[in-house]
Amino acid sequence: MASFFGRLKGANNPAGTSAGSTPAKKDPNAPQPTPLEKLLIDAGPIRTDGSDKFFGFENFGSTCYCNSIVQCLYYSAPFREQVINFPVRSPHESLKRKSAAISSNEDTTTQLTSPVKSKNPFATSLTQSSSPRTKQVPATTTASTAGQPKQEENKESPEYKKKVALATGPVLAMNYENSNAYGMDGSLFSSLKDIFEAVIANESRIGVVSPTKLLEILKRDNEMFRTPMHQDAHEFLNLLLNQIVENVEQYSKENEASSAIKGASNSLVKALSPVIPSSILAPPTGSLVQNSRWVHELFEGTLTSETRCLTCENISQRDEAFLDLSVDLDHHSSVTSCLRRFSEEEMLCERNKFHCDKCGGLQEAEKRMKVKRLPRILALHLKRFKYTEDMQRLAKLFHRVVYPFYLRLFNTTDEAEDPDRLYELYAVVVHIGGGPYHGHYVSIIKTQDRGWLLFDDEMVEPVDKRFVLNFFGEGVNENGHPKNLACAYVLFYQETTFEAMERELASEGVSAMPEAQKDPIFNQPKANGVAVPNGVHQANFPTTPMSEEVEGFASLDRETTTPLPPPPTAPGPFHNPLEPIQTSPTIPFLKRKKSFAKKEQERHEKEERERRKAEEKEQERQIKELEKAAKIKKKEMDAIRKENQKRQEEELAARYKAAGKPSSNASSSQAGDDSSYTSIGTGTTGNRGSGLGMAGGLGIHEDTHMQTLNHAQTPPPQQTLQPPPTSHPNPNQNGFSSSSMGTTPNGVKDSGSMLHRFRNTSMSLRQKPKFWGKDRERKGKNSGDHSDLSREGFLNNSSHDSQSPSETTESSTNATTPSAGYGSPELSGMKNITGPSTTSVLPPITAPVPLAPTSTPVFDKVFSKGHGDKPVKKESRFGLGRKKSVNLL
Amino acid sequence: MFVLPPPPKYPAGVNGNGPIIETHNTIEHPKGPEFQFTAGEGTYVLRDDLLLATPPPHPSETPAVNTNPLHTTIAAPSAGTKISLAVIAPRRSEQQRYRSETPTSTTSTSSSNDGQEKQSSRDSGADSFPRVTNGSGDGDHSHAPVFGRSNAALNVVNGKEPKDPSKRRKPKNNIVKSNSSFVSRVIPHEGLTKRLQEHSPDGMFAFANINRALQWLDLSSPTKVENLTKILFTKAHALCHDVNEITKSSTHIDLIMGFSTGDIIWYEPMSQKYARLNKNAAINATAVSEVKWMPNSENLFLASFHDGSLVVFDKEKEDAPFVLDETATPDVPTNGHSMSTIQIRKSVQSRTQKTNPVAYWKVSHQKINAFAFSPNGRHLAIASEEGSLRIMNLHKEQLLDQFNSYYGGLVCVCWSPDGRYILTGGQDDLVSIWSLADSALVARCQGHHSWVTSVAFDPWRCDDRNYRFGSVGEDCKLLLWDFSVGMLHRPRAASVRQRASIVSSLPGMRNRAESSVTMLRSTSNLSRRSLEEGDIVHAVEPRARTAILPPVMAKIIDEHPLCWLGFEEDCIITSCKEGHLRMWDRPKEGAGAEDAVPSTSGSNV
Repeated sequence: MASFFGRLKGANNPAGTSAGSTPAKKDPNAPQPTPLEKLLIDAGPIRTDGSDKFFGFENFGSTCYCNSIVQCLYYSAPFREQVINFPVRSPHESLKRKSAAISSNEDTTTQLTSPVKSKNPFATSLTQSSSPRTKQVPATTTASTAGQPKQEENKESPEYKKKVALATGPVLAMNYENSNAYGMDGSLFSSLKDIFEAVIANESRIGVVSPTKLLEILKRDNEMFRTPMHQDAHEFLNLLLNQIVENVEQYSKENEASSAIKGASNSLVKALSPVIPSSILAPPTGSLVQNSRWVHELFEGTLTSETRCLTCENISQRDEAFLDLSVDLDHHSSVTSCLRRFSEEEMLCERNKFHCDKCGGLQEAEKRMKVKRLPRILALHLKRFKYTEDMQRLAKLFHRVVYPFYLRLFNTTDEAEDPDRLYELYAVVVHIGGGPYHGHYVSIIKTQDRGWLLFDDEMVEPVDKRFVLNFFGEGVNENGHPKNLACAYVLFYQETTFEAMERELASEGVSAMPEAQKDPIFNQPKANGVAVPNGVHQANFPTTPMSEEVEGFASLDRETTTPLPPPPTAPGPFHNPLEPIQTSPTIPFLKRKKSFAKKEQERHEKEERERRKAEEKEQERQIKELEKAAKIKKKEMDAIRKENQKRQEEELAARYKAAGKPSSNASSSQAGDDSSYTSIGTGTTGNRGSGLGMAGGLGIHEDTHMQTLNHAQTPPPQQTLQPPPTSHPNPNQNGFSSSSMGTTPNGVKDSGSMLHRFRNTSMSLRQKPKFWGKDRERKGKNSGDHSDLSREGFLNNSSHDSQSPSETTESSTNATTPSAGYGSPELSGMKNITGPSTTSVLPPITAPVPLAPTSTPVFDKVFSKGHGDKPVKKESRFGLGRKKSVNLL
Repeated sequence: MFVLPPPPKYPAGVNGNGPIIETHNTIEHPKGPEFQFTAGEGTYVLRDDLLLATPPPHPSETPAVNTNPLHTTIAAPSAGTKISLAVIAPRRSEQQRYRSETPTSTTSTSSSNDGQEKQSSRDSGADSFPRVTNGSGDGDHSHAPVFGRSNAALNVVNGKEPKDPSKRRKPKNNIVKSNSSFVSRVIPHEGLTKRLQEHSPDGMFAFANINRALQWLDLSSPTKVENLTKILFTKAHALCHDVNEITKSSTHIDLIMGFSTGDIIWYEPMSQKYARLNKNAAINATAVSEVKWMPNSENLFLASFHDGSLVVFDKEKEDAPFVLDETATPDVPTNGHSMSTIQIRKSVQSRTQKTNPVAYWKVSHQKINAFAFSPNGRHLAIASEEGSLRIMNLHKEQLLDQFNSYYGGLVCVCWSPDGRYILTGGQDDLVSIWSLADSALVARCQGHHSWVTSVAFDPWRCDDRNYRFGSVGEDCKLLLWDFSVGMLHRPRAASVRQRASIVSSLPGMRNRAESSVTMLRSTSNLSRRSLEEGDIVHAVEPRARTAILPPVMAKIIDEHPLCWLGFEEDCIITSCKEGHLRMWDRPKEGAGAEDAVPSTSGSNV
């Protein structure tokens, strides 16, 4: 409660001001609590495990792939726990870190009013970084004025909500590295851990994370993610998990070695001073070694591929590990059937012949893959991006594929342990867009006790459980247009028990009852009946089960039996259902249930109604008071903000003039994008062509575009007060950075080829020889060193959209064009990183292979060739590449 | 550099652009191999493909085209086209079907086993075989149990009414002249009376919902494409409907409809009269998922709601908000566990029966998706979204068994014609066969590629040992299955218990079956049984121990997910979410197909 009010007073002001900043649009009810805030209003003390933190993630331009996946991982309780606990440290150490994390968060929260403290090495870049973002402002402002002079701000639009979320804060600028504190090098894992810890340590339940460091490292280490293009969320998941595996294993290996030395010295120390407790001296080595496989324990399953050579009838079995399963889709199918099909028998013939060890040659064979060991978390990738030969590129499949809330696997081997393991759906990554090269990702995640939430970048919103089933995909209409652009893309199922399922379904049912009555759908037709005001708060009621309601089952259950259904305005989460005065008019009623005197009843009903009305009024009054308070603050802020805005705009205009760049380019890449929301409005139609003329200007990718629009219309005050935690470089670095990026005009990597290269990388990661890790590490360091210069460049390029329009154009239309990008300078660096899996072997044609290996045998061949330099696994790669691409082995 | 094509616009939903105008149903007769399917008995050929016109949205309700694909408003519950059929004349074939109970199919082996088994099953339902359909013509169903008969309070109200049993009471309000905001428009056919006169008693009426419309069709008429009457509701969608089998006559049909708003309408199409129940959600505020007339009851019907409640209504009574009455069992807070008993909010034995509801049971925490009465009218099978199948003794208002799907919700349920087996279909892509007497899962039927939305037995191809049933699903497929008691092929690891449940002739098993039967009758046993929760709630059978049944026929028969399946004497009827009503002619007689499978019709009269 306290935190909520606190935020209303302090932090919500920016929201109010930003809303008011659009001229002549002073909205009185700007600081209304968001649905999420309402949901959390009665939350108790914050738990320490992070399960009741609901932070959005800032989008830095097409980084929604990262946001959606990281959110899904965060809300996997065991995963989060492991990330937090992984490098086991002495209590002393962790205490220190905890306080550091908290203080750093205080910093970020105070940043709302005071300039950022330079508490980390990136502080300088931080102050700089504010400028590129603000720089975008005039661009979109002009765009918006050109298109629609005054765009009506839709309060319900996600853009608006995101803006408010960003303005409300607290914004956790994850631009620092604690990796040294963990005793690790800066890695994806350490930055992910930083984020998780910062979120958990923050005092607020809600806020926004700016995952700058994570993206920086991601882009530093992975060339394919450097472009501001639309990335594949599944590929990112794949990469992230593998990197975490690698980081974690590397760490524990190093620690083992070092602790061995330390242990030796320790024994010396011990011998010398037995008084000192050993725990202080020696790091807990044993647990570290045990711990290092936790990613495997969570996500890894084992597939057995049985291949029967048709010539010699020899059956060869091979076990392969997977971290996620990619399944082909059919029209009107279910996840169950996709998984079944995954394990269907498959003929290896013609170009796909199987190399039989027994006959010693390529033979026709039958192959089938079954799950031998079931993972605890089953990440299911629905292969919605498929190579179509007629269009010569990847296309998105809009097939209707239904997914149940609970799942068991049919395709297990006979000897599998616990073959009837029950899984529950806990997260869905949804891709919105018409094709693989553009669009938006969001995730819908089941939280521990707050039901399902929609995570759309900065925005977090409670949703009905039924909402989860909106993304089956609805096919295409007669004209070939998809009926719904939003389709589930990655499904996360986690193991559960039957009892847990029963419990949950029961509690859902309990809270669903009053919810259903609140539902406007049910009330509207009753207009002629009981007065049902379509009040303000009705629409925003959280619909998710709450723990309190579980406990209050009895009373709630009775509620339905009472004469009058509670009106939709009946106090929702504002009230504790256990408190009879607030929630249930029904309870006094129940006490009197033995009296059947009708008049008595009627009188009661009347009283009840009156009281309820009074309650409503009381509520409204409270809300109004809050609003008033907020409004006053808002006015105060208004002045500052306007000043800032003016200054900003002037500054930026000057810069733009200096740079000689047209400022209306925000829309250039928009044209190529299938932006996720038509309601974007400003740049969508009006200025499509305008950006094409600029040379080397900024093409802003859709997500950024959205963001920039927001900022353009209403630059939140903290942008100047608190330089946003991005690593956007100064605009005048632009020229340098784009050249250092090395993507020559035709160096555009179509995502397909990149995916492919990435696939190799990730596969080889698991196959890598022992020495390789060290090798890589060394090389990584090297490249890290010499790339320090260019690193900013990469970041610059990618995180903030300074992609030339020509690039964008090409990438979205000519996606499969073979690119010369492979030869580009930093690719060799990439090669170093990825090691001997030799990306250069790959002919450029391989673009779409990894996503649609089935479609063309030619590609299969290439694909298998790509692995060909590893004769050990040749045959299995072969199979994998062909149909059942188990992504990651 | 070239200009990019404009980004694809978000489609404005199915409705497209501009106002859609009211259209008429269309009928097609497509031919070709994709419009027929073959089972052992021969080839079924598509006779008619009747596409019901989807009505445009109500003018008052301009569909707020939300272009945001993530908009979080949840649409009102909707259902694909379901069909209620009404044949006025008593069905000869069904009588034949029941007579076939006498051993005719000597073709199958293991006759001794079967004989025993039949006896045990007869124990369970001996006096119930003269069932609803049997007595539909002559009204002779005195020996069949009628729900609520034992309650004098109920009988008083009933007793007052039927002065002239031949003259059925009609609802009060004229639906054509109604100014209710609930009903938007009624479009009767201009030649309605003439068409009704022409309608043969053997002809088939059908009631089908599509979007916010309900159509009354004459499926045996040459002009079947023209609806007899179309009712457009303002906002509410009819999700389910049912025709009263015992009150139907050439001048009277009692149709009951359940709506997405929770409202229920009793509609008499011949006189165009209606009455509205659960008005303004007086009794339950959630959507009605299924509604069916109580077996052998003229007035009582059962409705299931999305909040997991089952409510018995009397079509002629007024609604009254009800308070828990003294006969009700106190609500037992189940502390987050699935409900292993039925909470009786109002018992049918309650003495206050002046108003609706007649009975009110809270069965599940989740939405009830479907329910079905056993042929003898004693039992009720309830399929719910949480994945449980509950078997309930209707008259004792007691839960007998609770089974669970392999995973996911159960969508549909039906009984075998002899009442021995229950079929469910669900989100695990399976059709499951459950045995009533053995309280066990018999087999899982694997073959659908998506959720199963409707299951039905083909009574014309069932005898005492062989069962034919069909299922349709979201995968647009119709699957036909042959299930015979002895032929189940079981997985290697089939347990003894499982085996026993399949061939329920082992002495021990027979005892069990009988004991369960006696328990149904004696109250003392019942209470004992209800205490033993473990006996009621059955754990999920692991896959390794369950028999798997493959389909005999699987075919994609529509481009859209299917949602309803019905077997008629001369055809199979399917319907899909988009309103295609397809009638598939059975294989032609004399094609030699009849001999392939022991069929009951014809051989036995």
